[in-house]
Amino acid sequence: MMGLASYLIISLILFVIGITVMIARKNIVAILLGIELVLNAAALNFVAYSRFATNNLDGHIFSLFIIVVAAAEAAVGLAIVIRFFQIKETIHVDEATTLRN
Amino acid sequence: MFAQFLFISSALLTLGGAVAVLVTKNIMHSCIYLLASLIGIAGLYATLGADFVAVTQIMVYVGGVVILMLFAVMLTGGKDFVSRAQNLLGLAPSMGNRWTFSVGILVALVFLATNIKLILNVSKSIPAKTFGNEFPSTVNQIGHLLVKEHVLAFELSSVLLLGALVGAAIIARPRKQ
Repeated sequence: MMGLASYLIISLILFVIGITVMIARKNIVAILLGIELVLNAAALNFVAYSRFATNNLDGHIFSLFIIVVAAAEAAVGLAIVIRFFQIKETIHVDEATTLRN
Repeated sequence: MFAQFLFISSALLTLGGAVAVLVTKNIMHSCIYLLASLIGIAGLYATLGADFVAVTQIMVYVGGVVILMLFAVMLTGGKDFVSRAQNLLGLAPSMGNRWTFSVGILVALVFLATNIKLILNVSKSIPAKTFGNEFPSTVNQIGHLLVKEHVLAFELSSVLLLGALVGAAIIARPRKQ
């Protein structure tokens, strides 16, 4: 029941839903939510392999660094979203067509 | 027994929250469902015996990232937050349309079909280790690993966080006219 395969399948479904959110939604904040789901699926895979396939805790360390990088990415991404909203007055992703305002 | 109950409820919370993030119209409700999904992932870490990672997940994501997302949603409400003309599927314009949803679900199905076989083979090749119900604390070992073997990555992550902090403050600065 609680074997490696069940964790891998949960992680795969989470990854696929994250990819679908990133492709389907048109709101920039929703795309960032999809990125968070994908990063969490990867971190869950690391911890599952660390428990079932190895005897050390390197997977936990890698998962912690994934959390750190995701936090930094969310901060910079949301700063970019707020700046984009100040310029364009919308956060629809189809409006993001130029690098300069 | 309790571990199995925790596993099933955490898995349902995780996957249900993720599906709700995909299909909810209101972006604020999507953030709240993402919070439920992240708490479910913390429960899955707990069933794997990763206590430190589970607590870090709750502290960083639930206490930090989701709150930051909610602030961003509230700061970028704008005119089209309430409603604009609705498109074919009757969805709000921030939801995407039927075309983007069909492309996303196609990519999802292709990815699922190509990886299920891989995962089943992996689980066959790795023998099933059985553990008891004891979960020794990992905090001591993680502390030793962070300051001995992985100390370079530890310091680099602190530099990365400082750079992200300064960069976010500079980017989000109000524009001078």
